[in-house]
Formats: sequence, structure tokens, C-alpha cells
Amino acid sequence: MALVELHDIRKTYRVGDQEIAALDGITLSIDAGEFLAIIGPSGSGKSTLMHLLGCLDSPTSGSLVIDGVDVSRASSNQLAAMRNAKIGFVFQSFNLLPKFDVLRNVELPMVYAGVPAKVRRERAMAAIERVDLLHRVHNTPLQLSGGQCQRVAIARAIVNDPKIVFADEPTGNLDSHTGEAILTLFRELAESGRTIVIVTHDNGIAARLPRRIEMRDGRIRVGVEAAVSATTPLISPAHPGEEAGA
Amino acid sequence: MNFWFGLLIGLKEISAHKFRSFLTMLGIILGVASLLAMFALTEGVARGMRENLAASGGVERVEINNKDPSEENQDLAFLSPGRTLDDAEALRKGAPLVSLVSPEMNLGNNTAISRSNITIRLATTGACPEYLEVGKYELAEGRMISQIDVDRVTRVVVIGASVAGELWPDTPDYVPLGEVIRINGVPYRIIGTLAYCESDAAKRKRAAGFSAVQDERRTRRMGKKKRVNRYDTYWQKNHAILVPISTLFNDFRTASNADGTPNWKLDRLSISVADLSLFEETLNQVRGVLERTHRGIDDFGFDTREEWFDNIESSVRATRTSGSLIAGISLLVGGIGITNIMLASITERIREIGVRRAIGARQRDIFVQIVVESGVIGFIGGILGLLAATGVIQLLIALSPAENAPVMTLSSVVVSFSFALGIGILSGLYPAWKASTLDPIEALRYG
Repeated sequence: MALVELHDIRKTYRVGDQEIAALDGITLSIDAGEFLAIIGPSGSGKSTLMHLLGCLDSPTSGSLVIDGVDVSRASSNQLAAMRNAKIGFVFQSFNLLPKFDVLRNVELPMVYAGVPAKVRRERAMAAIERVDLLHRVHNTPLQLSGGQCQRVAIARAIVNDPKIVFADEPTGNLDSHTGEAILTLFRELAESGRTIVIVTHDNGIAARLPRRIEMRDGRIRVGVEAAVSATTPLISPAHPGEEAGA
Repeated sequence: MNFWFGLLIGLKEISAHKFRSFLTMLGIILGVASLLAMFALTEGVARGMRENLAASGGVERVEINNKDPSEENQDLAFLSPGRTLDDAEALRKGAPLVSLVSPEMNLGNNTAISRSNITIRLATTGACPEYLEVGKYELAEGRMISQIDVDRVTRVVVIGASVAGELWPDTPDYVPLGEVIRINGVPYRIIGTLAYCESDAAKRKRAAGFSAVQDERRTRRMGKKKRVNRYDTYWQKNHAILVPISTLFNDFRTASNADGTPNWKLDRLSISVADLSLFEETLNQVRGVLERTHRGIDDFGFDTREEWFDNIESSVRATRTSGSLIAGISLLVGGIGITNIMLASITERIREIGVRRAIGARQRDIFVQIVVESGVIGFIGGILGLLAATGVIQLLIALSPAENAPVMTLSSVVVSFSFALGIGILSGLYPAWKASTLDPIEALRYG
């Protein structure tokens, strides 16, 4: 069974008395261990899709199952628990807490998970080691470079051992050299079996990932799936503009 | 989320903005300080009054006063002999609920007390042996007037603690037992001296190195006008001149009425109630006895300390209520200050809140974090307020009269402090609710 399954997901916003469909019937599945890119210009709905996949928001209609849990009608607390246990986020602007040092930043998700302090420390140190920042453990984000900040953010995203990691334009604020290093880190994580979804508008990055989903006007664009795995369904000719459910 | 972690975040947030946090706390600090100072002041006044009451005979003491007789008895008022020694005798024999009866005849405040060339002017009291116990006196040296002195009309005198110093100014701490002094020219032999009386606060002050007796002597020597209050219970007790009531009558009252007849009337009649739980019954018994000796004329009343005591309590309570209302308002204003700053602080941290939500914080976690933070502000404000209050109270102690010195009680500390903490927590509720209901996506995009 796929790790993430979406069926006919719609998300509409109401602006005044006008309804705007940010997502207009998305059907998609992601398998465990996949390394994929969601691309599209701004306004294409890729951020909205990531928010739904990341349990930050609920769809207006449709069903969304993540790791066997139907989260399409989940409460705020259930969503928080999902985000805490099964999902990791990496943001374009790092979003570290500036007053805490690296260790505390990485520990933070485990604090909300109720992990005891000693275990928390061990696991945080392991995650920091994974991103090669052991020598900066007690620095605050303001004392780190952009690339180092993003590594801290990645350590924070993987520390709770989530099922899936979402990265929203992870190289957007970095120079190309540092960005390359971050992408390499993601690739290494993916090779070690982690499911990683990178949201970007940069085709150069997306082209190098095994699978790409291109968004346009709230739909998945047809015919651009780069890699078709065994479980990825064929594109249904009956419904152009949508990817048929499995 | 772990409470201690919330506390840590709160402390961190406060230490990151020290001056701002201090300004935020200022309202709480001032509120707590004024609340405590107010409590201490009223407590000090109440204690002073209670001590004064106890020193002048306690609640069990009842004074029998002259009173205008009721309307229907007015024409017959002349039939009543008024308060006389007969009343005292009748009460001793006929009122078993009364433990002590102390009749007094007084010479006014200007009685000349002299020794060789020194004359001082004090009130002189003709008393019975019971006077010592009813008036809560203690003997320092010698003996008290005895019943034999009263029966045999001896010319003996017991003097208050400060009197010897004034009559023998050159020999401090002299115990003038056996010396003769003249009261309005009549010689009396000193048989006893009374122990020095002072309030607890004055006692403490003296222990710290001030001597009230020395103080008095110093001001006198320097020729300054004494700034003593002659109505002060302690002053009066230390300047007592006690002679047997019979001797005082014989020497000064046998022809003191305007028409040259003896004045049998008592100036004061005090009794001690044996059992406070039978207070009303005792008064009824006394009333019954006195109505007989006064020939049915109700020209006497009771001055009970109970009423005095109740008055003290109710006035203290009223002061305390209005005072805490005012201090409470300043605490409330402090609380509004906290709310305001917390609102500003969460606006500053919207993004941080978004990050926390994204990595799994529930709404409740954010709520707790903000409430703990404002609670910490209240807590620290409360502690600083306590410190400020101790300073203010020291100042007030230096300013106020010794017997009414402000007292900080544990209960007032607990009340003010928990009030500060409560205000801190309450004022965080609204900002916390606002922060916890932020949409995580909006919050992440913010700024």
C-alpha cells in the first residue's frame, strides 16, 4: 500500500463572495522511499498541496490517507500529532528559533512528543551528527551560515524519524554551491530509505529527481511524470488534466 | 508539553528583553508593594490598639461609669449616693461572678509630688490592693498597698517606674524604698515601685539600643518640652502614684465638697469578670447589686472593653478593605500592562508560533507556553514586589510611632504574592488564546 494516497482532493478558498479553487481534484499516491519533486509556477497550487500533505491544513473535499490514517477530516490535535510523529518540514527560510542553540532547536519536535530529556539529547546529537554539525551544537542560528542553518533544519525534520519529509524550496535562500550540498544531503537521506518531497519552482533541481509532479492551475499536469514506478498508475485518457487513482 | 520547558521559554523570553520585562512587571511590583504596605500598616495599628487594650486591663475589665438616670428617675436622682466605697463592698460580697473589684479615688493631674526641692505634678490614685491586678501592673520592688494599709489608713505610696527617676534625677536606677515624699504637702513613705511598662514594639526598639527611660531623661535634661502624650496608657502607668484609698480620703477628701462635707464618691470603679463566657450574666449580677446600693436609680453604666475591641476590629477591617481595593486596582492595571505586552510579544513571534505548530505543537501547547510566560512575569513581579515592600515597610516603621509600627504577616505575604501570580496568569489568558488559534500556515508565511 502506498504511504500517501490522495483521491479527488479539492481545496477552495472563499475571497469575498468568490470561490477560488486552489486544488481542483488531485488524485495521487506516493510510495514509501520515494524521492520526488512537486514543481509549478507560483499560484499553481503546489504550496497548498504541500500544506495538505504536511497535515497543516484539511481539504475541502476528497480523501487523504497518510500511513494508513485518514486525515482529511482530522481535528486540529490529530493533525498536530501527525505532524509531530510522521512528518518533517524543511523551509526555505530555515525557520529555526533564533534564541535557542542548535541542540535545542533539534530537540524541539521531541519536546512536543514527550520524549524524556536524556533520550531527547541522544537522538538530537545523532541527527546533528548525520548533518555534520557536531562542532556547532551550542551555537545559535544567528552564528551559523545559511547552509548550516538549513542542515540544522534538516536535522530537526528527521529527528523524530518521520515517514515523510517535505522541503519547501530548501535551496531558495542559498547560493548554488551550498544549495548543491543540501541537495546532496537530501539525496543521501533518500538513498538511506527516507521518503522525501521537495517543492520547488526550479526545473533544474526537479529534473534531477527520480519523480516529478508538475502542478498548474490546481491540477497535476499530464505527461510530465518522469519516472513511473510500478505502483504509479497510468494516465487516464478519459480525464485529461487529472491523474487517475490507483 | 513539559511545564518546566514552558518555564524555561518564559525565562528566556524575559531575559531577552530585560528592560521591557521590568517595565511590564512594574505595575505588579508597585501593586504588591502597596498591598503589602497597606496590610502591614493596618496590622500594626490593630496590634498597637490590642496591646494598649490588654495593657489597660484586657477584655475582662469592665468600668462602671456614671450615667444620667433614665427619664422617669430623673426627679429622684438625688436619692442615689452615686458610686461609693459601699458599691465596692457590696460587689465583693454580692457578686460572685466578679473576681476583682477595684475602687479608686483620684487627685487630679496636678497633684504636687515633692521631695526636698523637687516637685513634679502627676495624678494620684487612691487604690485598693486589687488595683494591681485589675490594671495589669507588676511590682518591681517592695510591696503593693495591702488591705491592712487600707484598714489602718497608713500613709504609704507605691510609685510608677518613671517617678523615681524624676524625683532622684542625679542617681539613676535608685530604688527609693523607705524614702518619704510629699503629696500636696502630706508625707508618704514609699513601700514599692512598679515595673516599667511598654509596648512590644517599644521593647524591640529598646532592645535595639534605645532606652525609653533614657530618652525621657535626655529630653528633660536638655530642657526641651516633653513631647509625651499624657493620655498614652504606658506613660500613665509609668507615672502612677498609688496610695491607700482610705488614706487619700482621710487626707484630702474629708471636706472637699463645696459645702465642706466629705466627698465619698469614687472617681472610678473597675471590676474584673471572672469568666468571659458568662460576660452578660456578670453584668446583670453587677447591675442587680448596684441598683440596690443606688436605691433603684439607674445612674450607672458599663464601659466594656468588648465594645472597644469590636470597634478596633471593625475599623481595621474597613481600612483593610478599602486599602486592598485600591492596591488591587493597581495590580489589575499591572495585569492589563502584562496583557498588552504579551499581545505585542506574540505578534513579534507569530512565525515562531507557526514553526512550533508545524513541528507538532498542539494549540494547547502554545496556550500553555504563553500563560506560563505571563505567569512567570507575575511571579517575578510578585517577588520583586515583596522586596520593595520590605523596604517600604522599613521606612514606615521608622516614621510611625513605636506602638503602631507596621507588621508584615505571613498571611499578607501569601495573599499578595498569590494575587500577583494569579493576575500574571489571568492576563496571559487572552494573548494565549489568540496565539493558540493562529492558523499555522498563515503564521509560517507571516513577516
